[in-house]
Amino acid sequence: MIGIVGAKAISGVGNMGRFSRFIWQSMVASLRSCSKTHTYSLIWTQMYFIGVHSVPVVMITGAFVGMTLAVQTYGQLAGMGLEEYLGSLINIAVVKELGPVLTAVMLAGRIGGALTAELGTMNVTEQIDAIRSMGTDPVKYLVAPRILACLLLTPVLIIFADLLGILGGYLVSVVHLGINSRAYWLHSANAVEKWDVFIGIIKGLFFGVAIAVISCYKGFTCKEGAQGVGKACTEAFVASFISILALDFALVVIFKAIYDTFWPLRSMV
Amino acid sequence: MKKKYENNLDTEKSSNGVLSVKNLTKRFGTNVVLDNISLTIEDGKTTVIIGPSGCGKTVLVKHLIALLRPNSGEVYFKKHRIDNLSENELNNIRTHYGFLFQGGALFDSLNVTENIIFPIRQHCKITDWKEVEELVKSKLAMVGLDGFQQFYPSNLSGGQQKRVALARAIALNPEIILYDEPTTGLDPIRSDVINELVLKLQKELGVTSVVVTHDMNSAYKIADRIIMLHNGKIIADGNADHIRNHPHPVVQQFISGQVSEEDLAVLRMRGNISHTQFLPRDFE
Ligand SMILES: Nc1ncnc2c1ncn2[C@@H]1O[C@H](COP(=O)(O)OP(=O)(O)OP(=O)(O)O)[C@@H](O)[C@H]1O
Ligand SMILES: [Mg+2]
Repeated sequence: MIGIVGAKAISGVGNMGRFSRFIWQSMVASLRSCSKTHTYSLIWTQMYFIGVHSVPVVMITGAFVGMTLAVQTYGQLAGMGLEEYLGSLINIAVVKELGPVLTAVMLAGRIGGALTAELGTMNVTEQIDAIRSMGTDPVKYLVAPRILACLLLTPVLIIFADLLGILGGYLVSVVHLGINSRAYWLHSANAVEKWDVFIGIIKGLFFGVAIAVISCYKGFTCKEGAQGVGKACTEAFVASFISILALDFALVVIFKAIYDTFWPLRSMV
Repeated sequence: MKKKYENNLDTEKSSNGVLSVKNLTKRFGTNVVLDNISLTIEDGKTTVIIGPSGCGKTVLVKHLIALLRPNSGEVYFKKHRIDNLSENELNNIRTHYGFLFQGGALFDSLNVTENIIFPIRQHCKITDWKEVEELVKSKLAMVGLDGFQQFYPSNLSGGQQKRVALARAIALNPEIILYDEPTTGLDPIRSDVINELVLKLQKELGVTSVVVTHDMNSAYKIADRIIMLHNGKIIADGNADHIRNHPHPVVQQFISGQVSEEDLAVLRMRGNISHTQFLPRDFE
């Protein structure tokens, strides 16, 4: 019993160590490839796969979030006679939390799964070893472009989701629930600060990197066979999902501290 | 062309022994695959490794290029110890090698041309695409596949994939080529073309080759030296004649392709095969 727990603990620590090493290597490789123009074509290809095809699903996600929020919160606010404040509530929620987090979760499923399956298959068919055998660092060739593409595109996709969320919320509130359009926008504009939009987008940078690193790591370490690849994909999604939520929490705490310290100072500048 | 795509590694060129392993042991879990093996591979010679399936031939050649690391023992490339180098340090050394994987290991998202120029692209700045196209054409012609430039690996047969992989392995004109079963899955004529190719590379470019094979005809034809692995040990080592007349019964049995008495006994024990056949459900 103790032996089993011990063995599990040791392998857990070992995995953590390997994962940290992988993060370090991929960060170094990503930074290096920023300065090398010939890697840009690799990044472009990945951006096309990751970005363009994700736009529709991300927009649909955003729109439904906005619309659902409007319907859900209307009842409570109307009960207090505050229905004109619907805009502020919806837009704050979409821009700060739901837009970034749901976009990231969507991407973890859509892109993370594909990345893990692709790299996992390359791993079990020895294609990654082939890259190594030709004197190229597979982290540099495979992982860095994917991380950079995710890093650059997740914030952009979050903006799309935000826009559609705002639009969806607006349509349901004004057209369907009959709230005065002017009041809706006025309260929204008062409630949402640039800072809120900004942290929503900054979160995207972190989420994008987390998704890419975790998915690539799972692909690189996946076990032989079709089952191994499938298992790696599942694990990658679960790990990405939890990391997104954990990162979100950590970032909210950190940004709140920063906000409380520095935002009041901005008037002095 | 050769000069241009060459990497310099500042080493004194030793007269023999480009590659050597000392007391190499490799285990996977409790399965000891290579057991205290020592071996020196001579410069400009073709060394053939034979042995029964699963005896660790692939594992051994992967150690020669440090794709696998030993549990104990050392691996040397031109007197440089390589088994303890980091991947980054190895990248430069590996450009001196060509490695043909047993399964080909072609990049399935790249077409044949892109596969072959992959190593060139990684290590040289390509300025003249005409020249590169010519190179791809000539390498493909060597393996009898000129005209397949735009094909994707999934649209090639197993043997064709193997040959494209071979073309990729020799793309950078490496000094050392490790072939893992280059002729498996090819028809006899095509196999012989590959044999001639190995010989030609050795003669004209002075390439050092290590060839893993099950094909004894091919082994006799290309080998300067044949090594037989069995149960993690080297049981025979010498030129073709030495192997042909080797006294060890396992060697004799292997090269003549004879079934051992024990294996036959297993087959006989099962008795008549039709007795154990399962009949389909709706048989009656
Ligand atoms: N990655 C690995 N993990 C665990 N065991 C392995 C691994 N690679 C090889 N082995 C084991 O090492 C032994 C030798 O494998 P190897 O692939 O070298 O055989 P081989 O001599 O090349 O056989 P073949 O002629 O069939 O290709 C096998 O018993 C195999 O189970
Ligand atoms: Mg093998």
